[in-house]
Amino acid sequence: MTENMKMTLRKGEESRILYLVSPGGESSLSGHVGGFSVISGNGLNLNMALEDGARADILAVILPGADTEMTFSMDLAGDGAGCFLSGLYLCPDNEKLSINVLMRHRVPRCTSRQQFRGIVSGTAEARFYGKIIVSQDAQKTEAYQENHNLLLSETAKVDTQPQLEIYADDVKCSHGAAIGKLDENEQFYMRSRGIPEQEARILQMISFLSPVLDILPEGEGREALVSYLENAVRSEF
Amino acid sequence: MDNDILLKIEGLRAGIEGKEILKGVDLTIRKGEVHVVMGPNGAGKSTLSSVLAGKPQYTVTAGKVTFMGRNLLEMSPEERSWAGIFLSFQYPVEIPGVTITNFMKTAVNSRRTALGEEPLSAAAYLKMMKEKMALVGMKPEFAKREVNVGFSGGEKKRNEIFQMAMLDPVLSILDETDSGLDVDALRIVAEGFNALKTPEKSAIVITHYQRLLDYIIPDIVHVLKDGRIVKTAGRELVAMIEENGYDSIN
Repeated sequence: MTENMKMTLRKGEESRILYLVSPGGESSLSGHVGGFSVISGNGLNLNMALEDGARADILAVILPGADTEMTFSMDLAGDGAGCFLSGLYLCPDNEKLSINVLMRHRVPRCTSRQQFRGIVSGTAEARFYGKIIVSQDAQKTEAYQENHNLLLSETAKVDTQPQLEIYADDVKCSHGAAIGKLDENEQFYMRSRGIPEQEARILQMISFLSPVLDILPEGEGREALVSYLENAVRSEF
Repeated sequence: MDNDILLKIEGLRAGIEGKEILKGVDLTIRKGEVHVVMGPNGAGKSTLSSVLAGKPQYTVTAGKVTFMGRNLLEMSPEERSWAGIFLSFQYPVEIPGVTITNFMKTAVNSRRTALGEEPLSAAAYLKMMKEKMALVGMKPEFAKREVNVGFSGGEKKRNEIFQMAMLDPVLSILDETDSGLDVDALRIVAEGFNALKTPEKSAIVITHYQRLLDYIIPDIVHVLKDGRIVKTAGRELVAMIEENGYDSIN
């Protein structure tokens, strides 16, 4: 039940959206969180165009409960526009998740940042396909993309494909992807302070996800989301 | 049975990834004693501290370790912490996204729960944290910082001593606490350690250099070489090593 959403941000407009997929249970998050409008759903196909100086901050939070597909087609079509796209996902059991991002820089001086992080366990499968296209005219572009994954089982699968297509010559771009396990030194450090193994694992997972939440301003809203996430991590992993 | 014995290590052999590093270590620590373990690089100093704290990557192949009458080697790292062992890490680990406040609150309350005590209230915890931070000369704003993220070498080691103050161990193991510290940071960390010292508490100070021992006064000094303790003496041994090097000791 992926819903289609089409938006255009006019000159100088700003939009902050927290898109929440929480099929497993009722969400305690609604209204606004840290200045972001909360939209709940089961999957999203977002087409967004940004005109001169427009700015979009988008955080996608994908919690367990159902297979999910998310597509973000972002069109940086106006000079100096900025798109900040973050996402986190928890995929236990045999769930399937697919995230597709197309970040298109058409004109000069636009900025985009993508930060996606997820935890995958059981026999779940997560796929991240992210592409940045910088057109020939889009000089002075800054575009960054990161995808980090934590695998909790030998049978979980992650397929991550970050891609860059750059046709301009005066740009700053980077992309990176990583797939890893819970760090043993970190775990020993926590346990040596008397934190039981399972509690240490939870802390590690929260720590792993935290860079994604940097998109939210510090404060009550962010804290509410962190404790909401902590509950989800605790009950699933 | 000697009631003053806190830790007894007998014939300890241990290693990592199939390589034996400790080749039969014997060491007895009594209440109130500060022991120094010195030795050249690769002697097994850090392995000894990791094995005592229960780092899972190490394998013990022989020997016995008794801590307050219990078989230490059968205990998990968290159980050792609850029993009163604390390891100050040579390389403290960064934990992004977890504040010092939350980290230590989890640690303190995990132990209280394990020992059958009520968890501390938020107010009681904050009061305790404030006192201990003052004790080790740590600025209050550190409470909100993410654990060791962006800390200087000195700040990381001070954070270790702060955690030691919070957990109030019976036996502290300082693993190369002096490495990477300038003289001022070294002095501050040592003062913190000394402020926490009581006649009931013991410590193992592991170091390559003697300079930390200008500030922390040991009772007994051991030289660890190639996985064995080759010499044990009083603090005069430190000066001897300083003058003649480890090669003079066999």
